[in-house]
Amino acid sequence: MILSALLVIVVKNAVYSVLFLILSFISASFILFLLECEFVALLFITIYVGAIAVLFLFVVMMLDIKTSQFNKDSFKYFPFASLLGAVFLFEVSFTLSNSFKSNVYINSSFENFYVNWYDKIDSFTEIVSVGQVMYTQYVFQFLVAGNILLLATIAAVVLTVNPNKTSNKNQIIYKQLSRNYKNVLVLSS
Amino acid sequence: MIIESSLLLKEISVFPELFLGMSLIYLTLHCSFLTVKQSYPLIYRSIVYLGFLVLILSLCLLLNDKLEVQGTGSFYNTIVTDYTGFLSKTIISILAGVCLLAVEPYLKTQKINNFEYVLLFLFSVLGLFLLCSANDLITTYLAIELQSLSFYVLASFKRQSTFSVNSGVKYFILGSFASCLFLLGSSLLYGISGTVNFDEFKDLYCFQQSCSEVVSSEFSDLDFFVDFLYCKQIIESSKFDLLHVFLNSPEVFNNLSGLPEIRQETFAIDIACFLNSVNSLFYDVLLNLILTFKGSDLGNSVFEMYSSNPCTTSKLMFLFSLHEVSSFYSENTFFPDNVSLVSLTNISLILILISFFFKLAVAPFHAWAPDVYEGSPSSSTFFFSVVPKLAIFIVMLRIYYFSFYSLIDSWRYLVCACVVLTILTGSFGGLTQKKIKSLLVYSSISHMGYSLIAFSSGTFESLQVLFNYLIIYSFSGLCVWAIFISTQLKSNFLQKSNKDLTDLVSLSKSNTMLAALFTAVLFSIAGFPPMVGFLVKINVFLSAIDSSMFFVALFSILCSVVATFYYIRIIKVLFFEKTVAGKLYHPISSFNALLITTIFSFILFLFLNPTLLFLLSHKFGLLFSTDIF
Repeated sequence: MILSALLVIVVKNAVYSVLFLILSFISASFILFLLECEFVALLFITIYVGAIAVLFLFVVMMLDIKTSQFNKDSFKYFPFASLLGAVFLFEVSFTLSNSFKSNVYINSSFENFYVNWYDKIDSFTEIVSVGQVMYTQYVFQFLVAGNILLLATIAAVVLTVNPNKTSNKNQIIYKQLSRNYKNVLVLSS
Repeated sequence: MIIESSLLLKEISVFPELFLGMSLIYLTLHCSFLTVKQSYPLIYRSIVYLGFLVLILSLCLLLNDKLEVQGTGSFYNTIVTDYTGFLSKTIISILAGVCLLAVEPYLKTQKINNFEYVLLFLFSVLGLFLLCSANDLITTYLAIELQSLSFYVLASFKRQSTFSVNSGVKYFILGSFASCLFLLGSSLLYGISGTVNFDEFKDLYCFQQSCSEVVSSEFSDLDFFVDFLYCKQIIESSKFDLLHVFLNSPEVFNNLSGLPEIRQETFAIDIACFLNSVNSLFYDVLLNLILTFKGSDLGNSVFEMYSSNPCTTSKLMFLFSLHEVSSFYSENTFFPDNVSLVSLTNISLILILISFFFKLAVAPFHAWAPDVYEGSPSSSTFFFSVVPKLAIFIVMLRIYYFSFYSLIDSWRYLVCACVVLTILTGSFGGLTQKKIKSLLVYSSISHMGYSLIAFSSGTFESLQVLFNYLIIYSFSGLCVWAIFISTQLKSNFLQKSNKDLTDLVSLSKSNTMLAALFTAVLFSIAGFPPMVGFLVKINVFLSAIDSSMFFVALFSILCSVVATFYYIRIIKVLFFEKTVAGKLYHPISSFNALLITTIFSFILFLFLNPTLLFLLSHKFGLLFSTDIF
């Protein structure tokens, strides 16, 4: 994850850096999976990867930013950035050291194992319990949310499709395929 | 279990909403199959009638609902079915149905042929229905979103017109900002109290400190209080709980010590006698009384009076032992006494209030309203300005009166300030307007101000007055807008619809009856004495005076005089303008004429016999207040 997060900054092509961003999101959600927070992890993937990162990707691809040389400037901001990084690192380590305690009985062989009794119970996973609540207690609200989605779809169709127009924009495949990339850009010197 | 019961239509409490939602889906399928088959046939007329039919059927379902007098919760108490919701839903469905029919010729001339227009109408009606019966913050939020999303699209429905798109985007951005405020407030509330349900809020915040302040100010005069005690009606009275709070508050007994001793004795004995007559409800008060006068003769005599009855003695002894325990723990601050949490609650309540003010276009948050209302197609503006206000007021009542009545002091002054600003902008902003539409918008802004006066006064009568005012406001708004939308100017530009004031010149010559009706309704809206508008308006001012909001009442009366100017100017243009050549209008369709006269006769009837309205609103206020007080 750290590698991919680093690559987001380092890689020169913007599209690749967005792809690495997606990779770092996915690996973050893997960490959440390991912590058994399935619902949050799936939400993470759906929202960040499914919506936001793809949006970024589209924007980056549409803007068509040239891969520029920025090696020269990268060390200009190094002291300031390292200061910021050090501050954040200090904060994170401070909170971590405050909120977690090391096991006092770590050396005594008698007490030296920790059983999470909650795991021993045959419990639901998180998604199951969320689903249970959503489909029983909040079934009505769920239906209303579905209605809102239907409304949003209808609204999008109304605001974009124009029935009065006689010539619809159709995809003409052979035309698209027969285009040659060499003739796309007309260079004017 | 609950899915099964709702699928088998056993859960009858949301039957109208369920029907509306299902028929919406069927309508969508029907229309899309119909339009895909051929090359876009014009089905707007049939779909308007279908939509009207759906509204009528859901109205029938509403009326056939076996309604219990008190509200009952369903779906894990997230939906409440009570008389308040029933009445407001009935009125909303009638308003929406009439609105749909009145709009139909306008859709024809404006060439708004898409069938989705009616679907969006019905979606927003569904949202308003849900809003009327929502009993928790999640349902409220979803209902508000459903309603306002369809409004955004209705505003920007005419894509060819820049104004329409502009107003749609404006409405969308400000509306979603308001939704954000609502969400922020409700998440704060959830963080504080751990619940989103209105009933549970009510239980949590029932005996708040500010409540006892209200009561102690009400009973500040001891003489009055003693008289009050002797009125045995108090047992039936709505102030029973408040009295309980008052007697429990420590200030009462602290005040007592300042009085001469003989007065103290008489007062204590008065209370004791009273408590004896009420029997068994006020033991904790009695305990307080005895503890205050502990050691003196008075305390002993009161105690003896009770110890004669064996039943009460045992209970008193139990309470004494309980007192020992509770005084031990009294140093811990429990939730309702925690000052910072209460102030946080106030902040979140104010955030939610602001979001509702955005929706109602109340003064500091009204800036979107004139632009949006003027830019969007007239049929949509008709709908925005007439139908949704009632439902939003209902949900505001549910939150601020039903759940958080004890915190009324914290938000009431904010509402008063907003009222003053709103009435100011509504009255003075309308003076310079040249278009009828924006004039009507300013009129609706000032009307929201008047109804907020009733909202902020916080008494039982003000609830009735508020309901009265909203009904009359919506029906007279319906009449004005129906007249506005059905008069079609004879000109080369068929689609020009944003009428100037001067377009109405000598309407009285070409269509005398219509002009007369228009005049009468405008008089009613302005609040001239021989119309029903006068009755409800004076009731609003009287309710404000009742709760001693003299400044607000005076100010709003003065402003309403100013606002009368622009109503009368329309009438002057209608009748008394001297011009060389008047404008010509297309004759309005007989169906629309029938519609307008029906609404007008309803308003006229309510003036001649307002008892019907007052009875309905009395029942409304009564049922609402049994929950509160």
